[in-house]
Amino acid sequence: MEKLGVGIGWRPEIDLTVERLPGIDFVEVVAENLHVGHLPESVLLLRERGVPVLPHAVSLSLGGAEPVDAQRVAHLGALAEALDAPLVSDHVCFVRAGGLDSGHLMPLPRTRDALDVLVANVKATQQDLPVPLALENVAALLDWPDGELTEGQFLAELVDRTDCHLLVDVANLYANARNLGTDVARFLDEIPLERLAYVHVAGGEEHQGVYHDTHAHAVRPEVLDVLAQLRARVDPPGVLLERDDDYPADAELADELAAIRAVLG
Amino acid sequence: MATQWTPTSAGSAGSTPEPGPEQQGLLVGGPGRAAEVAVVSLVEAGAVRISREGLVSVVGRPGHGWSPLQAYVLRSAPRTLGELITATAWSAEAQSLRQHLVDVGLVTPPGRRKALRTLRLLVVAAVVVTMIVAGALDLPFALAFFTAVAGAVVAVVLGRLSRPLTARGRQVVRALKQVAVSPNRIALVAYYGLLGKVERHHVWEVLGIAPAAAATLRRRSRGSGSDGGASCGGGCGSCASSSCGGSSSSSSDSGGSSCGGGGCGGGGGGD
Repeated sequence: MEKLGVGIGWRPEIDLTVERLPGIDFVEVVAENLHVGHLPESVLLLRERGVPVLPHAVSLSLGGAEPVDAQRVAHLGALAEALDAPLVSDHVCFVRAGGLDSGHLMPLPRTRDALDVLVANVKATQQDLPVPLALENVAALLDWPDGELTEGQFLAELVDRTDCHLLVDVANLYANARNLGTDVARFLDEIPLERLAYVHVAGGEEHQGVYHDTHAHAVRPEVLDVLAQLRARVDPPGVLLERDDDYPADAELADELAAIRAVLG
Repeated sequence: MATQWTPTSAGSAGSTPEPGPEQQGLLVGGPGRAAEVAVVSLVEAGAVRISREGLVSVVGRPGHGWSPLQAYVLRSAPRTLGELITATAWSAEAQSLRQHLVDVGLVTPPGRRKALRTLRLLVVAAVVVTMIVAGALDLPFALAFFTAVAGAVVAVVLGRLSRPLTARGRQVVRALKQVAVSPNRIALVAYYGLLGKVERHHVWEVLGIAPAAAATLRRRSRGSGSDGGASCGGGCGSCASSSCGGSSSSSSDSGGSSCGGGGCGGGGGGD
């Protein structure tokens, strides 16, 4: 996987901040928020500077029982081509079923049946995409019953059967460790780190004993500790800071990026 | 982000003897100008940011101590710059600010202005009638001449008394002009407005606001502000100085169009 460096999620509210933050090697855009024919000036400016822009989807619902929406895949592919992106990504989850949208990234039952559905959807999607696909582990507030695989095993088998890349969100991993008891070390040992495309880092908060991956709070030291555990195993091609709400001052974002760089060494 | 304005200094607290930037902006350009000052002062304080496309959003979680107009901006974000300024200009907070300026004697009360203008019309009508009667009855020319001159003097005096700004208000505008130079970014906005020009550059350019963001600002038509923004009800236009009182000493003195009352948003007429 090509080296990406340290990046930040591009969002319309902080477009100028992203442009002027020092040392931004790449950015990620939410694919559903962009129109191929009307790309934001800021995104085009970053591309002109040679900054890679990676489309990140949230709505393919690759783990859903229904076929993947071809229009959504086409949009993601067109965006990747318009941005000359090296890869695109979405999540290991489902977001709709029976005509209803959950509004959340719902975790999948870690059963072999669910894995078969996911693999079929991912393979079909890959055929229609012009660039490689990376898939991200989600933060879950529940584990479906009768799971047959650990999350790490589930992802490893997914990669093995589809040849997709992995986008490891260490904040999601931390959230699952806090809320569901996921073993961080085991997860990192089980996933094929050689297929790691890049890493997400984000902030969250604890509310009534549950950790919420809000992307609206500062990155916790515990999340950086998970990043450090990953770094001890592999030099990740890229690490990206995600922030989606309550955007802090430029200096605060710069400090969070500096903290990430410090962990990477 | 550099700023020399604390929340209270940018605000509109009634206890402040000297008018704050929002009050100054309202005197020069109406509620829209005051709204521009509120937004820009928040940007300078690092409490909001304006995106390249003009989206104004709150930075972090700003504390307390903001002026009512600034607090309204913080509550209303995220919105585009133009929408936010329009909404702020039409807010109850902007109306309160205008009323405060009336109460402290910087703006002529609208009722008094209306009465004075009506009286002036009556005086002019009386002069015309007198002239006609004098001509019809073949009265002495001196009487007609004296009546005309006296009527004209009274009309001029009434006209001056019915201007939107009081003498003190106009004095504030003149003082603002002295400090409205590039380093003083808030005063620049208060005096010229975001769409106004200073040294051949739009103020929004001087402030580093992106063109797409500035494009969300609405330009009011020159003819729409005849009522005077600070003293008229509800107007939220914020005109550029070249079309407003205060851009030159003469127009500043007149104060007659010191603030647009028609269009809303970021001002206009500056090109």
